[in-house]
Amino acid sequence: MSLRNIGIVYRKELMDSLRDRRTLISTIVMPLLLIPAMTIGFGSFAISMVKKAEKEVPKLMILGGEDSPGIVSALRSLPDAVFVPASDDYARQITNKVVRAAVRIPAGFEASLHGGDPASVEIYVYEGELKSEFGAQKFRAFFDDLRQRTIESRLAARNLSPAILRPFVVTKKNVAPEEKVGAAFSSAMLPYLVILMCLTGAMYPAMDLTAGEKERGTMETILTSRVSRTHLVLGKFLLVLTASIATALLAVTSMGFSSHMAATMFAKDLPPAAAQQFRLSISPQALAAVFVLVVPVAVLFSAALLAISLFAKTYKEAQSYISPLMIVVIVPAVASLMPGVELNWRLALVPILNTSLVSKEIFTGTYHWNFIGAILASSCVYAAAALATAVHLFQREDVLFRT
Amino acid sequence: MPSEPLIQVRDLSKHFRTFRRRPGIWGGIQNLFVRDYKTVEAVDRVTFDISQGEMVGYIGPNGAGKSTTIKMLTGILVPTSGEVRVGGFVPWRDRTNYVRTIGVVFGQRTQLWWDIAVIESFHLLRKMYDVAQRDFDERMALFGEILGLKDYLHTPVRKLSLGERMRCDLAAALLHNPPLLFLDEPTIGLDVVAKDHIRKFLTAVNERFRTTVLLTTHDLDDIEALCRRIIIIDRGRLLYDGPLELLKQRLLRTKQVKFVMRDAEACARLAALPIDGLQMETVDELTCRVRFDRTKVDTGDLVRQVLARVEVRDLVIEDESIEDVVKRIYAGEALREVSLQ
Repeated sequence: MSLRNIGIVYRKELMDSLRDRRTLISTIVMPLLLIPAMTIGFGSFAISMVKKAEKEVPKLMILGGEDSPGIVSALRSLPDAVFVPASDDYARQITNKVVRAAVRIPAGFEASLHGGDPASVEIYVYEGELKSEFGAQKFRAFFDDLRQRTIESRLAARNLSPAILRPFVVTKKNVAPEEKVGAAFSSAMLPYLVILMCLTGAMYPAMDLTAGEKERGTMETILTSRVSRTHLVLGKFLLVLTASIATALLAVTSMGFSSHMAATMFAKDLPPAAAQQFRLSISPQALAAVFVLVVPVAVLFSAALLAISLFAKTYKEAQSYISPLMIVVIVPAVASLMPGVELNWRLALVPILNTSLVSKEIFTGTYHWNFIGAILASSCVYAAAALATAVHLFQREDVLFRT
Repeated sequence: MPSEPLIQVRDLSKHFRTFRRRPGIWGGIQNLFVRDYKTVEAVDRVTFDISQGEMVGYIGPNGAGKSTTIKMLTGILVPTSGEVRVGGFVPWRDRTNYVRTIGVVFGQRTQLWWDIAVIESFHLLRKMYDVAQRDFDERMALFGEILGLKDYLHTPVRKLSLGERMRCDLAAALLHNPPLLFLDEPTIGLDVVAKDHIRKFLTAVNERFRTTVLLTTHDLDDIEALCRRIIIIDRGRLLYDGPLELLKQRLLRTKQVKFVMRDAEACARLAALPIDGLQMETVDELTCRVRFDRTKVDTGDLVRQVLARVEVRDLVIEDESIEDVVKRIYAGEALREVSLQ
């Protein structure tokens, strides 16, 4: 094994890649631009949508209530709402977003309020539709208030204190450390992002260094050089690994920066707890631990991508093999984001998912050392197997010169 | 030559298994399920020797097996059967030590790195082949002089013209002073001036360092300028191995000149030329082609005579293509007497 020859190949590929626009875009530009754009862009888009929905003066409809003029006129005097005449096809109008919400006041409602008989008011809403929910909220607030006042006046009429209805109070208090609560959203996202970036960073150089080289016809020329095939594939592999790790590091840096920006930008628009969701509060130790865990994953990706694209004859063919792999990788990475998926011994052996899950724990400050050890070991085994496959494929004439 | 040949090739064969694609949509669907494999004999029991200092042309039509032979001789491919010994090495067995003793240039592809300056590729190759800095400088000065590399050493390869790139590739292949040089179509796609440059350089290297050269080519002018011996293969089989002169006498005798005339009557006047052994062929109203035996008719003489009598707008002198020569060998012409000596 000659480190010098591997170094020569590495240096050559590095010089070549630094001049290749596709590699530069996927390694550097993507994480540096895409992540801030996604975090800040998506965040501000969501906030502006909510605000717009809140600002809208909803069109509402009152059905019935002919014998309850007091209630109807109180409803009609609600601020920031427009009332349209009652119509039998209220359901269709709500569905078509002509009217945001409607309320049906039962016959003799006012009389039953005074008489103390139970009555039922129905609010019609387009469920899940934000603006309709805001419209319905106006009705709900009005009737909640009316019910409260009715209870209080009934209690007063019987000379009872309103406190009789509240024999005790329940309050909820957070005891988890600040960083665990605050970073819930970002810490769940981060492992997923790091793993995905390891993959995208490795993708283009892996294809370019194998299938691309075959396509340009330079594979033969490099094979006639003094460098052995093993050194050649190891040099190429190291470059792909560099790109993979560089992309992931840039992504984390970029994520840290943009989440800080987002939290600051949205502080005035969101309640503090929600704005805190954007803030990444991760200790340097956690970052270092996750980095150690991610390296074997990056090795796995780099070697696997190299082996797969070596098999392809052209860049295009390599792309069509690798696109499905993206999905294969995204599924376990996303699975770790799902609620209820917790680290256990079986999942600790599933590549990618294990790293994603344990990173999530580490980012929230929990270190399960036995899991960390097992995951590191299993990831190393997978990575070594992938690398051995890539080296082996490089010795095979029918793979290198596939026709 | 009494000393042992530098290259010894015995019964060399390389077979590839390829799958036969059925035509059409239905064929395409069938291909997915049932694959019909066939064995292609790219190189079939080829035997030859090449001595130190020789320049040998390895020629044949497209798909004849030239490149496959070169790939086996350079150690990239392992033969299906047969033996090869080059300077004591079995190329594919001890490849990394063997390649120190050879230089390889593939005409249509470069071993220089596409996006980086030529000189950087040279430096990387210097390290790869452990060439001492002094030897490197000496050689660069020499190549700079014969090949005129200095002007574009700092240009990335992708910005070079094909001719410039080929010169750089040749320099790269010879950087470690190998005693043996393999060239696969070194002049393909080059213009006349660039071809001439490459040929002069190869002659100079061969004379100065006694570098053995094996080159494959389509261009008979390359062969004529460089080689005294040629090997012809077709469909993997050896067709001819011997002096170029002999082949020329027996087979490459026909030369043709295409004349484009000013008026239609000129063609008729051309036919009345008082030279024996001319075959006339009318291409169109104003163009005709004259074929003749070059051992009997001097090309310069013919052209001079025609120009003296007829008004000619343009003329093209052509050799027979290598494909035509191979076709004629197949047709049985002079095959026995030439190839088996």
